[in-house]
Amino acid sequence: MKLLTRGAFALPGTSLDFKTGTWRNQMPVHKHWGAPCHYVCPAGEDAQAYIGKLQEGHPQAAWEVLVAVNPMPATTGRVCPHPCEQACNRGKMDEPIAIHLIERYLGDEAIKNNWAYPVEGKAKGEPIAVVGAGPAGISAAYHLRRRGYRVTMFDALPEAGGLLRSAIPITRLPREVLDAELARILALGIEFKPRQALGRDLRLDDLLADYQFVFLGVGAGKSRHWSVDGAVPSEMHEGLGLLKEWIAVGKVPIPKSVVIHGGGNTAVDLARVMKRAGTAEVHVITASGLPGPDADPKDVLNVVPREFEQAVEEGVVFHPYRTIQRLLMRGSKMVGIEMVRLKKIKAASGRTQRVAFEGTETVLHVDMVVPAIGEVIDPTGFESLVGGADYFKADPWGRIETHDRVLVGGDARGDRGTVTAAIGDGRIAAGVIDSALAKAEMPAVKRRDFIPYETLNPNYFEPAARAKEPTLPIGRRTDTEEIEGGLTTAQIGQEAARCFSCGNCMACDNCWTLCPDNAVVKTRDRATDGSHYVFDYEFCKGCGLCAKECPCGYIGMTDDA
Amino acid sequence: MAKSSSQLKDEILKRRSQPKEPAAPVTDESDLARLRKSQPRFRGLEAGHRACQGCGEALAARLVTEAAGPDVILTNATGCLEVFTTPWPQSAWRLPWIHSLFENSAAIASGVEAALKAQGRATKVIAMGGDGGTFDIGFQALSGMLERQHNVLYVCYDNEAYMNTGIQRSGSTPHAAMTTTSPPGKERMGKRHLKKDLLSIIAAHHIPYAASASVAYPADIRRKVRRAVSITGPTFLLIHSPCPLGWGFDSERTIELARLAVQTGLFPLVELERGEITGVMPIRKPRPVADYLKIQNRFRHLFVEDPRALKEREHLQALADHNIDQYGLAGEGADPLDADGADTVRRGGLVD
Ligand SMILES: Cc1cc2nc3c(=O)[nH]c(=O)nc-3n(C[C@H](O)[C@H](O)[C@H](O)COP(=O)(O)OP(=O)(O)OC[C@H]3O[C@@H](n4cnc5c(N)ncnc54)[C@H](O)[C@@H]3O)c2cc1C
Ligand SMILES: Cc1ncc(C[n+]2csc(CCOP(=O)(O)OP(=O)(O)O)c2C)c(N)n1
Ligand code: SF4
Ligand code: SF4
Ligand code: SF4
Ligand SMILES: [Mg+2]
Repeated sequence: MKLLTRGAFALPGTSLDFKTGTWRNQMPVHKHWGAPCHYVCPAGEDAQAYIGKLQEGHPQAAWEVLVAVNPMPATTGRVCPHPCEQACNRGKMDEPIAIHLIERYLGDEAIKNNWAYPVEGKAKGEPIAVVGAGPAGISAAYHLRRRGYRVTMFDALPEAGGLLRSAIPITRLPREVLDAELARILALGIEFKPRQALGRDLRLDDLLADYQFVFLGVGAGKSRHWSVDGAVPSEMHEGLGLLKEWIAVGKVPIPKSVVIHGGGNTAVDLARVMKRAGTAEVHVITASGLPGPDADPKDVLNVVPREFEQAVEEGVVFHPYRTIQRLLMRGSKMVGIEMVRLKKIKAASGRTQRVAFEGTETVLHVDMVVPAIGEVIDPTGFESLVGGADYFKADPWGRIETHDRVLVGGDARGDRGTVTAAIGDGRIAAGVIDSALAKAEMPAVKRRDFIPYETLNPNYFEPAARAKEPTLPIGRRTDTEEIEGGLTTAQIGQEAARCFSCGNCMACDNCWTLCPDNAVVKTRDRATDGSHYVFDYEFCKGCGLCAKECPCGYIGMTDDA
Repeated sequence: MAKSSSQLKDEILKRRSQPKEPAAPVTDESDLARLRKSQPRFRGLEAGHRACQGCGEALAARLVTEAAGPDVILTNATGCLEVFTTPWPQSAWRLPWIHSLFENSAAIASGVEAALKAQGRATKVIAMGGDGGTFDIGFQALSGMLERQHNVLYVCYDNEAYMNTGIQRSGSTPHAAMTTTSPPGKERMGKRHLKKDLLSIIAAHHIPYAASASVAYPADIRRKVRRAVSITGPTFLLIHSPCPLGWGFDSERTIELARLAVQTGLFPLVELERGEITGVMPIRKPRPVADYLKIQNRFRHLFVEDPRALKEREHLQALADHNIDQYGLAGEGADPLDADGADTVRRGGLVD
């Protein structure tokens, strides 16, 4: 063969001898940020992580990620006010991911298919006592059991569940769901001793003698004292008591009209129960604002927003930014109340105060007034632990200064107030106990920084409407049937696909596809997480293009070392 | 050490005579050199090339050769792509590649194709050039190649100026852009003339397939390349390839700019068969041209207090609006393949 004699030759791909990485002054690095949904979850759930598993088509693995943090997703998927959805980055593009519906779906699927909790081996470690079988106690017991400890859980009542069982209406949390979830948790090998009240049947000293640690999740069961300038109606019913009675025996008083004073779940749940039972006029007076786009999240009715919407639909009348100033009595008979507008404002001292505005008084004619302004702990028999305060004082890990083997969590702390906060406390306390007994690392109470929307690249996501849960029409709502339904498997798939995977790689291939320098290589052909992309710093010129085009914000540029 | 041509020639011949070693699976994830060889895509253009950081042209060439596959011969006009890929004695190409002159990529390709035909071989020939080499100096060679119906795909990497020689204006430079030969000043606000409507001239050649594409939409590029190489006969692809240095923007913004060029209507993505429009990428919600212009130095002079600046901004907006009308780019609602939807990603990457 005759060969050309002019011109130059080069062997294919020999440019690899030249390391363009030396040109770089900034380098791309993978950075796993927290997702906002994770950052704000009181229980500590990482929705990004489990939705990722769902996107991969592995619902059971998704549930396992979820219950590594929260053992009761079927329950919290129904009752949690889901701050995750308020924080969700997707809300800045169209509508937030329906995280609670995904959580609920996974919880329900686990019950339906009897998925095994990721808890291995027999409990054989040191004995730990848990007092109170509400969400805080259950979570502590579960996480201690996961870590191999022998747990005994006590409760004053005959059944476990705390307020989930005794106070939250069945229409929001069917008891079959609660029962099924609790039974599966207790069956992991947690000894449950009902009808054992601390201070009545149990002494703290005895517990401390028999157990290495004591976790207190006793909730706040005593109604806070309520009066209007010292006056109370002659026949006083307080809100939580009425709700509990309704749940236990199915009865509530049915006056012609009632005003409920309070801005939390008790007030709203009771209002709906009384309305449905036949009370013609039900008013709720609250010092806070109402949920809505313009509401200040720090001063708003403390309920799940859709709970409020449903109450309005059902005819409950809300009076926001008001308080009761006077009870109108005719003899001993209640005929109405006088209410006045007020607002939380910053006083000269710098502290915020609620200030009532003269001249804004109005009268409501009602037959009955029910306070629902919150509860405090009942420390009978263990007063030494609280020293006369309304709640326990504890550090972020639940430790009490005066007692080094006692921890506390949930409503008993006074600064919590949700099921998920109680669950988070239980998990952290279990970690603290494990770190003391097994030198495990102290659990983190601070989360990874979360990724702001601006750091994502939304160009790579399509707008898509949020899935909507089926809701019973008002006329068909009863005292026993669950009002909201769940999503179908197909809907869950679509909803999960809407998630941006904030701060974590979704293996979209963008960096691999777009690097002009072939400096992103894959270690495996395919994967659905980001474990398989590597930067080849010998060639990366540090242009920053991959970081800019990563949809998830998983690539950051740093100064080259 | 640099090797002489004859040494390299010997090496090539020796290599060819050796049996190929079968690729062993890479188990060590830190062995990047071997991992690189086992990537699940064909590598036509390898790392180590000397393109600037964030070069749109390098990315476009990488994507084109990946999609075209290994049974290809490349010809390349003089220009950045030629220079940064082949600093002798190295080459970043992993395909047979030949460069001769600035003006004759299409002529070389015609000859290579004729020779292959004579040998009865079906290897695809791809001719490549920059916008200078295509719109201007190489145009007659290209026109001849199309007219003679050579079985060649011609790809023009459009970075809208003569970049390799220092950013001189070309027939493709957009109106009002600053280059070293169209500086803004007392007389003019950047380039006085318009961007040449090359696609219409190509259309007049009545070839089976021609299209425009953009580095912002790699899946669209892949599809168009595959389409073009599957056709026997002359085909043409114009790929918008932002140049961080020549346009004056941060290297990380290459894709962002390319996307904006499409979404404003300034760079329409269209497909032509036998000269007729057969497909366009619709624009869901046209963006104002200022969004695109204001992040580039070459249009910096349009953002000062000067009535002429305003006029030129409005002129460019009118040109974009005209494109949208002319090509029917306005979308009707959301379409997964429109300029907002075509780059959508999903977990696990593209399966195509
Ligand atoms: C009507 C109502 C509706 C609510 N709705 C919601 C909602 O939708 N979403 C939400 O997140 N939160 C809601 N909450 C708040 C939520 O129920 C509580 O924040 C949560 O239950 C607190 O959990 P916990 O484990 O700390 O306490 P609890 O649930 O109160 O459990 C405490 C347990 O300790 C037991 N106990 C108390 N004292 C002793 C003792 N001395 N010895 C032994 N056992 C004892 C009790 O019997 C009880 O079982 C609602 C609350 C009410 C009242
Ligand atoms: C006949 C001839 N005239 C001028 C040159 C100098 N020259 C080399 S590359 C180039 C510009 C290339 O511009 P373009 O084709 O747009 O490619 P780019 O470098 O922008 O990718 C010029 C003018 C040449 N090589 N040959
Ligand atoms: S988009 Fe997904 S990861 Fe991001 S905040 Fe919402 S649920 Fe979490
Ligand atoms: S796109 Fe490539 S060259 Fe640019 S920073 Fe990322 S890895 Fe480096
Ligand atoms: S661009 Fe895609 S594949 Fe690359 S790091 Fe980001 S999410 Fe992962
Ligand atoms: Mg050019």
